[in-house]
Amino acid sequence: MSFTVEPCNQETVIVRIGKALDFRNAAEFKSTCQTQVRSGARNFILDFSETGILDSTGLGSIFSLYRQVSPLEGQVVFAAVSRPVQVVVQLTRTYKVFRQFPSVEAAEEALL
Amino acid sequence: MESVKQRFCELSTLVAGVHQIFDQLCGDSGGYACLDEDTFYRAKLAAHEWAANLVQHASFDNRKPEVDVDVWPNGNKIECVFEDNSDGFDLDSILEQRSNGLSPLPERGMGLLMLSACTSELSYEKTEGGIYRLRFSVHSEADPWLNIPF
Repeated sequence: MSFTVEPCNQETVIVRIGKALDFRNAAEFKSTCQTQVRSGARNFILDFSETGILDSTGLGSIFSLYRQVSPLEGQVVFAAVSRPVQVVVQLTRTYKVFRQFPSVEAAEEALL
Repeated sequence: MESVKQRFCELSTLVAGVHQIFDQLCGDSGGYACLDEDTFYRAKLAAHEWAANLVQHASFDNRKPEVDVDVWPNGNKIECVFEDNSDGFDLDSILEQRSNGLSPLPERGMGLLMLSACTSELSYEKTEGGIYRLRFSVHSEADPWLNIPF
């Protein structure tokens, strides 16, 4: 499993989550995001359009990213949230922390 | 509808296998004909969290792992049973600790709480045969939530 990262500009990147963000690839997600932060990114658009599972470890890795970019006045936002991911968002009430957008394009417009 | 059951003897195949069971359940029902979509995903998430817990934390001593999974729809709920030959653990104590001790925006420790929040009639016990059995139901009417400190 791997994540696709697309730069929008120097400060904003889109991370395509793919089929799953869970305990099997959460470390890879963290490493990928840390590399982006070191390169100057502070805004992250997470594309969940293809995602069938987001588990507790995956969510924990997103919390970790949020803690990393918050002091930089960065943002982590969710885009094109699939139904399985929405179930987790509602269960954990993380909509209070992460803004959601219906599409990646809508998230880009809001952040740029 | 009949249950979907499978035995796993390799932990490396457990999580993907559990997902396949739910996919099969979904396929057999013609989509979500007899189950609403959110109930299905909550049940799949709960089963995933338990499988992930077994893979990451369970001790099997020197025994070859054996995990039996059985899932079936039952009216407005989904029922699930996991049986395994691990050493087991005190689920109630862990749940109590986690309920009282999560740090803000926690990176770890949410899995069993998410399992508990998604499910009702959750039980975990050692059987007379010495295996551990987790049984839970996920109801369509339930309104689950997990109080994560932000």
